[in-house]
This record gives sequence, C-alpha cells and structure tokens, in this order.
Amino acid sequence: MDKKSVLIIGGGISGITAAVEAAEAGCKVYLIEKRPYLGGQVARMNEYFPKLCPPYCGLEINFKRIRNSSRIEVITSAEVENLSGTAGDFTIELRLEPEYVNSSCTVCGDCSAVCPVEAKDSFNFGMSMHKAIDLPHELSYPNRFYLDDLVCQKESCKKCEEACNYDAINLEAAPGKRKIKVGSVLFCTGWEPYDPTNLKEYSWGESPDILNNVMMERVGAPNGPTSGKILKPSDGEPARKIAFVQCAGSRDENHLPYCSAVCCSASLKQAIYFTEQDPENRADIFYIDLRVSGRNEDFLKRVEENQQIRLIKGKASEVSLLEGSPVIEAEDILSGRKIREQYDMVVLATGVVPCIPGLKGIELDPDGFIAKDALENGLSAGGCCFEPKDVASSVRESTGLVINALQ
Amino acid sequence: MIEISPDIAFIEKLQGATGSQLTTCMQCGACTASCSLSEDQDVFPRKQMIMAAWGMRDRLMADPHVWTCHQCGDCSVSCPRGVKPGEILAALRQEQIVHYSKPAFLARWMQKPAFFPAAILFPAAIIILILSLAGTFSIPEGPVDYSEFFSHAWLNGSFTALFVLSTIGAVIGLRRFTRNVFTQRTVQKTNPDKPDQGQSPQAPQPALRGILTVLGRIMSHRDFNSCDEQKSRSVTHFLVFWGFILLLFVTFFAILSTIFFEYPLSILNPIKIAGNLGAMMLLAGSSFMILNRLRKRDQSNYADWFFLLSFWLLTFSGMLVEGARFHEWSFAYHLYFFHLVMVWIIILYYPYTKFAHFLYRTVAMIITRSGRQAG
Repeated sequence: MDKKSVLIIGGGISGITAAVEAAEAGCKVYLIEKRPYLGGQVARMNEYFPKLCPPYCGLEINFKRIRNSSRIEVITSAEVENLSGTAGDFTIELRLEPEYVNSSCTVCGDCSAVCPVEAKDSFNFGMSMHKAIDLPHELSYPNRFYLDDLVCQKESCKKCEEACNYDAINLEAAPGKRKIKVGSVLFCTGWEPYDPTNLKEYSWGESPDILNNVMMERVGAPNGPTSGKILKPSDGEPARKIAFVQCAGSRDENHLPYCSAVCCSASLKQAIYFTEQDPENRADIFYIDLRVSGRNEDFLKRVEENQQIRLIKGKASEVSLLEGSPVIEAEDILSGRKIREQYDMVVLATGVVPCIPGLKGIELDPDGFIAKDALENGLSAGGCCFEPKDVASSVRESTGLVINALQ
Repeated sequence: MIEISPDIAFIEKLQGATGSQLTTCMQCGACTASCSLSEDQDVFPRKQMIMAAWGMRDRLMADPHVWTCHQCGDCSVSCPRGVKPGEILAALRQEQIVHYSKPAFLARWMQKPAFFPAAILFPAAIIILILSLAGTFSIPEGPVDYSEFFSHAWLNGSFTALFVLSTIGAVIGLRRFTRNVFTQRTVQKTNPDKPDQGQSPQAPQPALRGILTVLGRIMSHRDFNSCDEQKSRSVTHFLVFWGFILLLFVTFFAILSTIFFEYPLSILNPIKIAGNLGAMMLLAGSSFMILNRLRKRDQSNYADWFFLLSFWLLTFSGMLVEGARFHEWSFAYHLYFFHLVMVWIIILYYPYTKFAHFLYRTVAMIITRSGRQAG
C-alpha cells in the first residue's frame, strides 16, 4: 500500500482542490462523491462573489487537472459506510449506487430522446423538468448520462437500453461495495441550505415566488430553468421587485444559532446581478447586520451606491401572501418605522448546514460541525466541515490541508 | 450626542426579574415587526430593549409605550435570541408603578415576600380598630346579619374614607408619571441631533375624541384581541374587567340602599342578580388567569401573584359570605371578617399593585394617541 495515499470524501470545490493539489504533489487520491457529478454546490452557482465571474470556469480548469492526472480516481454515486484503522492505515468501505450508465456513454442523447418519463429536475430544485435518463447538467463531470432510478420504469420500458448504440446502459446494474486502504482521510463533505420548511413565518411552500438563495442562483444562471432571465416562477413574468430576507434561519435560536457567514455576500451578489438585468428592477435587502469582511467591503460599497438597491436594517418578521404576492413586515430600524411591502419575489437567505457523515472518529460540536480538536490523527477536514465558509477560503484551506496527506 | 450613564443595578434588576440576558439582544427589530400594537410611526419594543440594555432608567421611566403593550407575547415568540421583550416591558411597568408611587413604602411592600405579613396585618389591625371603636368586635347571636357585626354606617364611612385616601395616592402617582412623560418628550423634541421624524405636521387629535376612542378600545378589548399568541388572555381579562365594573355599580347601589332602602336585597332583585353575575364572571376570569400562570410558571413574580390571588380571594370569600348568610353557617362572621380584610387590601393598595395598570395604561394610551391623527 502506498503510504502517501489519501481518500477525500466530497467532490465539491474543497474536495476537488485538495484532490488535484495532492495528486500533483505525488499522492494517490481517491475522490468520493455521493452525487453522479462533481462540483457540489459550486456547480449550481450562477456567479462567484465578488468578481461575478462564472464558477464553472474554475471548475473546468480543475476537471482538466483531474483528467490529466493518473493519480486521481474519481468515484461518483458513492458513500462511505465505514471508516476504520489509524493514521497511515485506514480502511474505508464504500457503498456504490448501481451504475446504469457506464463510461462508454458518449453523451449523444439518443436515450433521453426516447425516454417517456419526465420528472422534476433536482439540479434546478424542481423548477424545471428533465427525463428519467438525462445529463445531470450540461457541463457535468464525469460527462455522462445519469438514470434516476426513483422515477425510471426500468424493465417495463427499456427504451433507452435499446436506443443506445454504445452499450453504455445496463438496466440490471446492481449496487456494489468497495474497500479502499489509504494513509489519510480528508472530509470535504460540504453543506446544504437550511431546510426552509422550518420557516413557517416566511410562508415557505405557499407560493413558488418565495425561493431560497440557492434556488435564486439557478434562476439567475444561464443554464438554469429560465436561461438566466429572472422570472417569477408562478407565472413566468419578469420579476421587477425582489426582497432578500437575510438571516432566514441563521442567528436564530429556534433555527441555526450561528451566523452562516456567506449569505450576506450571496444576497448582495444576487441583488447586483438582478438589478443589472433591467434598470427598472428594484431589490430590497432586509438585514440585521451586513457581514462582509476584508476586501469584500468594496463590494458592499458598490451595492450601497446602486440606486436600484435598498438596504433595510431590520429583520423581516413575517412573509405573508396578499393576492398571491409575498408581503414583508419589518421594522426599518434606522428610521424607526414599521414597513409592510409587497414584492414580486422573495429570496430567503437560508444558512449553511454542515453535511457530516456519522463515522467513527468524528465528533460534532453543538452546532453540528466537526469538533476541530477531537479529530483523530490522520483525519482532517476542509470546506464547511468546521464552520460556514465561502469558496475562496475553502480553496485556500484545501490547498493547505494537503500537507496532512503528504506527511 | 446623547450622554448615557448606564444604571447597572437597574439592568441587573431587569435581567433578574425576567431571566433575559439583555446583551444578547441584537436589535434586529423582529419584536417590533411582530407586534400588532406597535404603530407604524411610533414603534416598540425594540427601542425599549436597547434603552434597557444601556441602563437608561430615566428614559424608560418616562416611556408611555411600556403601557401600550398588552403582553401578548408575540414579540417573545418571534425573538431570534430568546430575549423576552414582553417580559422586559412587564418588569418595566412594575418598575414604573414603584417609581411613581407615593408613599413609596406601600409600593415596596407589594414587591417583596418579606413584607407579606405587614401587608396583611396592617389592614386587619385597622379593621379591628374600627370595630373596637364601633363597639361591635364580637360575634353576634341569632340569625346571620352582618350589619350586627359591622354597622352599615361605620362600614360605608370607613371604607369610603379609605377609598378617598388611596385615590389621593393614585392621583399623585399618575400626576408624577404624566409630568415626567411630557418633560421627557419635550427634551427629545428639542434635541437638535435627533430631528423630529415628520410627526409634528400632523394635527393633534381633539383631546376628548382621543380619550373616547381610547376608552372604547379598552371596553371592547380591541388592543388585547389583536394579539396572535395567547388569545385566551383577552377573554379572561374581558370577564374580569366587566365582572368588576358590574360589581362596582352594584356596590354603589348597595351603599345607596343601606341608606335609603331595605338591605340586604332579596335574591331575585335585579341588582342582586347583577351582583351575583359579576361575581361569577370575576371568579371565572381570575381562576383562568391563575391556571394560565400555573401552566407556565416562569411568567409571574411575587407582586403579580399577590395582586391576582388577593383579587381571587376577594371574589371567592365574597361569594362564601353570601352563601353563609343564606345557610346560617356558624363561621359566617369569620368569613365576613376575612372578606373585609381582602376588600381593604384591594382598596388600600390599588395604586401600588398591578391593579394600578388600569390608571397608567389608560393615561399612557391617551398620551400616545395624542399627536397622531384619528383613524
């Protein structure tokens, strides 16, 4: 067994960065991802903060580095079931989802064309439809089709299998298991947005025009459900007035007691790309404190100078519906008045919830993040495992973490 | 520039009374936004929260908004930090009553369990003194007739005198409160650093109409009903409120009858029926209030309990006294004496207990309404 080998759990931006850095430094790398594609949350983003450039640009460079490296093995649709051993000698047991579409896939699309089943596209949070066999998204890596076995009719249909000219589809594929031995393990298991169904006071689920911030990224993305035009999900009309509700579930002892750190930047960014779509567009940001630090403060300045954006100090206490449109109630603290305003769309800036697998050697702190001091020797963690973090700091940290694998 | 000299003892007192850590308040305004009574231009309780956290006792003592709150708890539920603005305002109301009360020692008696014996024995002793002076401090023989024990003339005379005395106390307290509120308002209005936020161009509402509107709102419990949390509180208060007013009229008529007509009244006399109905409403309402408090034990303190329990005991003992007369119970006069002590406690202490809320809140509601347009 190669002493310098590392298994990275999570193929988001943190895991990918660590993987290419470790491989280029001479390490054998196993990159485990539970989804059928790499990129994690970043793959769904419209623009990066604060440069407002497309995130896929950076991801593609990294995908190229993965392709060019002989030391990285990417294992998608896989989850870690068990972790045992000590530093230098870990054994990881993986559970592999059935691989209905193998690497012979050429992304020709013949299967999807004949597929009779349409389902909500989870990549776009159900705001668009796709086929039961489809590309996860147009730039997904590994670049191959994916069969959603929850909706596929399988044996009773088989149309895709017949249509495929490359023997890439096997509807009888079974789940598998695999054991890997490595010297060290790196957790980059990432985060998910706080479940907005808990936010009853914000009328979640009562109107399609009340979204959360990750959905807003899809609505703004050129490869999203509306091809990047920000339209009201309810009727497809352009949204002219959007409210951003900060701390939707963060800094709240009934929800997440901690500050999720990235939502302020995210909403400022979204307000900018929304108002840039049309000079008539108006954005209101309801905040408790605007938490943007360091050089990002320049970005805040840019928002403050934007005449189309209003920053309103005051937590939105309620989002209700009036004739179908969302209405926000808050105190405008700086003027000491109560306000009640109607919007075309409301974006809830939901916070960061860590996704930590329940494995031996991992202890959680009261907020559900990995307790830093309790990590066993040979294990390390990056990305949002310890605390909410933005992409730039995650990337910097992942690069540094590779040293743990090399020692 | 606002100069702030925080009253640390005051901050600690508020925190102790409510179990709320004032520094955890992050001034997000969720409390104000969720409050159905906070007016659009004149908001609370977020402002009171920062004044409390900074120990600005003087400003808070002169703040009528402490009283416009009906403590429904909407703000405490919506608070993301677990601070309880509703409880803080309740503590501030109690603090204001103590602050404005004259003589101050009576208000202090109501606050601490240590003074409980004094608070009870004082009225009992005075009643015994009056009875001794009247020469009737002994259990009369024969069928139960309370006027044998405490003659109507002595009863009406002494209790009216007592009511006048405590009302003088109440008026002094209210005057101090009102004066302080207006002084503080003038200070704030003339503060050049804090420009008036466009409230002055509005014509003040005619005083009488303002007062009538407020009284209408109180009688209908409109403000109470607008709360989302704890709707039942409005119902129980409505029962106690109208039960009490009914009994007040009945008492007034009873005093007249002892002078001009026959007394006691027959059980079928409309006045008697009204009295029994009022007592029933009062007992039901106050019993529900006690049950509601028992369910969430943290929401009440000694002063609150003292007032509520004395009110309940007053009602309950009054009903027993009536029953004792009809059924010729042997301990009727003991009950009657107990009931009279409760009556004294209520009348003597009304400007100093939570009972004073009806005065302060009414005045505060009228003050906060003036300077705002009707509608």
